[in-house]
Amino acid sequence: MHAIERVLNTLDGKPVDRVPTFCAMVEDRTFNEVLGKPIISQELLLSNPVSRFVLDKWGPQITRPIFQTELNRALMKRIRTQVELGFDSVWAILDETFTVIDHTTMVRFSGSVFNIQPDGYGNMTYMYREPGIKSRQDFEDWPYWPDADDVAHRTYIFFKKVISDYGQKTCIFGQGPAYGIQESLLWSVGFEKMPVWIRREKDLVKRYIDMNEEICLKTNMALLDTGVPVIIQTDDFAFKSGPIMNPKMIDELFGPPYRRIIKAVHDRGGRYVLHSCGDNTRLFDTFISWGVDGLHAYENTSNVDVINEKKLHGDKVTIIGGVGVDYLLTDRSQDHEVEEEVKRLIAELGPGGRFIIAPVHSLSTIPAHKLRIMVDAVKQYGAYPISLQATSKEALI
Amino acid sequence: MSESILAVRRAVEELNLDDIYALVAACLEQGFDAEAIFQEGISTGLETVGRKFEEGEYFLADLIMAGEVVKEAMPLLKERMNQGDGKGKGKVILATVSGDIHEIGKNIVGMILSANGFDVIDLGVDVPTRKIIETVKETGARFIGLSALLTTMVDSIRDVVESSRTAGLRDRVKIVIGGACTSEDLCREMGADDYGETAIDALRIFNKYVASA
Repeated sequence: MHAIERVLNTLDGKPVDRVPTFCAMVEDRTFNEVLGKPIISQELLLSNPVSRFVLDKWGPQITRPIFQTELNRALMKRIRTQVELGFDSVWAILDETFTVIDHTTMVRFSGSVFNIQPDGYGNMTYMYREPGIKSRQDFEDWPYWPDADDVAHRTYIFFKKVISDYGQKTCIFGQGPAYGIQESLLWSVGFEKMPVWIRREKDLVKRYIDMNEEICLKTNMALLDTGVPVIIQTDDFAFKSGPIMNPKMIDELFGPPYRRIIKAVHDRGGRYVLHSCGDNTRLFDTFISWGVDGLHAYENTSNVDVINEKKLHGDKVTIIGGVGVDYLLTDRSQDHEVEEEVKRLIAELGPGGRFIIAPVHSLSTIPAHKLRIMVDAVKQYGAYPISLQATSKEALI
Repeated sequence: MSESILAVRRAVEELNLDDIYALVAACLEQGFDAEAIFQEGISTGLETVGRKFEEGEYFLADLIMAGEVVKEAMPLLKERMNQGDGKGKGKVILATVSGDIHEIGKNIVGMILSANGFDVIDLGVDVPTRKIIETVKETGARFIGLSALLTTMVDSIRDVVESSRTAGLRDRVKIVIGGACTSEDLCREMGADDYGETAIDALRIFNKYVASA
């Protein structure tokens, strides 16, 4: 069975020959290990005095022609790496959301501020710093809102190439420059202020949600037009201790746009996967009611009981994830531990289908070697019918 | 308890940001003592919020709202409450460890601790170990709360523990950790004193230290 058929059938709840694999993106360390290190490291390239001067002086002007071109090249390498590692499905993202302000700062068009910083392996990465919208005036004056049609057009150009290069080899889970509606709001106004905004600035919150919905809808259509079969969307609705806010409020605020977005994808023959970190146990029913075909993360470090989730929702949604990046997919683990965990997950979650095994997240610390062990173990032990015996007391068979 | 203070308590419990200021002002106009309003109205209301959070009725956003409600009321009360009378629960230094810039969890903990009578010294994010140790020395704080989200930065926790030992402060300070990548196991591995999964856990832990001091 071809990888694409294996993945799509699993998302549709149909029989497949073995448990499919999904790569939750790789970061630069991993692709350097697979594709070879660049002669000049990214850190040196962006952190030398000349680059700093140029970024500080002309950051916004050079974002599109230089910075974004380099970032897109790196994103394309990430996709190639995931394919070369042998995953059945891979996370492909176009992150054309930034404007560089100076050598340490860039802003995302939806209202948030990020650090540009080294990843500890000679590469540069970015990390959320603070909200960019702190008042009604900031919201009205925010200068970086994009034209949704332009975002969709750039998405189309990038993914046309992705599909041309890799679309026959692996199942592409595509994400355009549209982050989750809720998490974008959270990043833009800050978590400490988001509950207050929701209560006191209802009109702005509504406008914000509408603008992001438009970007999601248009980029998703562009993705589907290029032949991307699965849309993936990040939107972290939970923290380790549970949902960020009352599930009823989440459904009231974000349910209507997500239902429309997912319906539009389904109407065009696509599948929809939502990535949400944290303990989403009290939200899974909500996500399923929105129409998702698959859910990704099920972080081992959160309190989600993935085996119980399989029992509760395994016939309604495809579980994607399970392999921890906190220890297992790091330099600290032993090779045999990765294999043992893969076997355990296959035994517990494989029976009945609707399970795609995957790292729970991307991380700069993931060695390529551990991902290879994971993929090889799935190929060795993941064939249906599953012969491994589940050992947990919640075992399904 | 008087109806007026009860109304303050209810406003905190119900996360009523719109009315809290007027309710506290009304209590003061009626001659109620600011300490009583804080203890019986605000603090008791916060206890209910914490319980509802632990029971799953309230969520993180509700904890934040409770903090905002208290923040709205505190300026009115603070100016009338005795300062430096020894009734505070002590100083807590909060920091997101070196190399990590995530601060949401830390800020929620800060908000809850402040609202419950702790003097919070928030050093911010990506805080060098040296700065934490210097602040302990300068302020005489007995409690440190360290936040870490990134798995890659957990060694910074060990640095703080070791540095406090080297500086001869380890017996004087309690070090509590929290954040997405932390756990009971990590707490033991790093030599910290306690691990809190939620802001309410953090409050309980620091209250426990205060009670046992």
